[in-house]
Amino acid sequence: MSETKNAGGFAGDPTAALDVAGTGGCCGNPPRASLSLPEPDAAAATCCGTDAQAKAENTCCGSAAKADAVASGSGCCG
Amino acid sequence: MTTTSQTALPALDRLLADVSGERMAATVATLAGESFAGRRVGTTGGGAARAWLGQHLVDLGASVTTESFPVRDVPEVYAVPTAEWSDGSATHPLAFGRDIAVHLASADVADVRQGPLGVAGVDEPAGRWLLAPVAMTLTDAYQHASGALGLLVGRAVDGDGWHYTMLAGPRVGPLPVISVSTDLQPRLLNAAQGGGANWSANAPIRRVDVNGANVHARLRGAAPGGLDVLLTAHYDGVGDHPGLRQPAAADNGSGVAVVCEAARLLAVGLPPDIGLSVAFLDGEEAGALGSAHHAAHLRTAANPPLVINVDGAGCLHEAAAVEAGGPAHGLLAVLDQAARHTGMPLVAGPVASDNRRYAAAGLAAVGIGAGMAGYHSPSDTADRVDPATMAAICRLVVATGWLAASDATKLSSLIGDKR
Repeated sequence: MSETKNAGGFAGDPTAALDVAGTGGCCGNPPRASLSLPEPDAAAATCCGTDAQAKAENTCCGSAAKADAVASGSGCCG
Repeated sequence: MTTTSQTALPALDRLLADVSGERMAATVATLAGESFAGRRVGTTGGGAARAWLGQHLVDLGASVTTESFPVRDVPEVYAVPTAEWSDGSATHPLAFGRDIAVHLASADVADVRQGPLGVAGVDEPAGRWLLAPVAMTLTDAYQHASGALGLLVGRAVDGDGWHYTMLAGPRVGPLPVISVSTDLQPRLLNAAQGGGANWSANAPIRRVDVNGANVHARLRGAAPGGLDVLLTAHYDGVGDHPGLRQPAAADNGSGVAVVCEAARLLAVGLPPDIGLSVAFLDGEEAGALGSAHHAAHLRTAANPPLVINVDGAGCLHEAAAVEAGGPAHGLLAVLDQAARHTGMPLVAGPVASDNRRYAAAGLAAVGIGAGMAGYHSPSDTADRVDPATMAAICRLVVATGWLAASDATKLSSLIGDKR
């Protein structure tokens, strides 16, 4: 099998996908080509993040939901 | 990495060649239709979608069950909100969904409240609607709102000018709270600071306790201790508002369509003894509650499945996002292999959806997201979902399942996961 048949696959280490989990923010956020993500927070819910996470850059799907999350401190999801 | 034999790939390629973007587009069009009313959890439309999906899976030869779970405090805008403002010389009616929306933290106020418009933190609150300045959070605004008629907070709209609808978020507060578009906010601020401005609005929003229900389908049984693949996607949406359709086509009709198509192909294309099941999940928009319910049952399963979740396959931008959790090193390696074979670029990025619930329960889980034409708004329509994107994601899912099945041992040995 030729693994380079097409320009597909992860650009870098596939296991980087394991380090995304734990970001707060919304369900269904559009993918980004480059991401800057905070460290996982074990105290966070699996989907809804903490206030600190919601305030962090790129952790939420949009400024609107992010504003709600920051205002409430409850994170956002869905 | 050459772990799959050359001779086996034609079988995979025949499966991949049968992926139909048109079939998936038809599924999305159905799910986005008026009869399903945006598929909010606990609604008639959600139930209709569930029934349709169940029958669709039966038609694929699956044994199908549903499993319900309670969902509390789902916000529901039960009437078209009324809002207008005046600057002393003219009255400006406002459009629900574009100019204003009812904030999730809003109290339910059915009757219109009319009064002078002031600025939170500046003007005497009693008897006034108060506009929160740009830098003021809702929490801070409450501190300046004793006796106020209600609060107005700025909120960005999407590229089509629509407010996003959210079902999970702030808890209900003591006052009606209206979100105003960030275009409108400075005009209101100027008017309020100039004096003589008035605001008139109601906030018809209530919280309802409902039942959600997942659709589970078993298409193939797994041999004892053998590989079992679980394909998941949430079928619920944020739901229509009165007078405002929110079809939820990309989020997540597209993901459901991908899973339907992938299941159809893998059901006949996997080797013997490889298990295949599907879960169409409810309540994701209310906080990934359907997957939480399902994952709790799988947590102690003797043979936990590999989970592949699709959330948004509507509009690919450069690469599909992948988020993984649990003992997923082997699954990621296979996903990478499948992406190389199908030509799908991948990037590690947040897919904050049901995959997180399965990962949190200790299952190997990946979430795949390939963009949304609209997000929780009336602009998430079926015509904006790209069939080519769905086809590409479907090929990725099919190839992942097929390659995992063709060399299942690598899933536990390649990188050392303990499954």
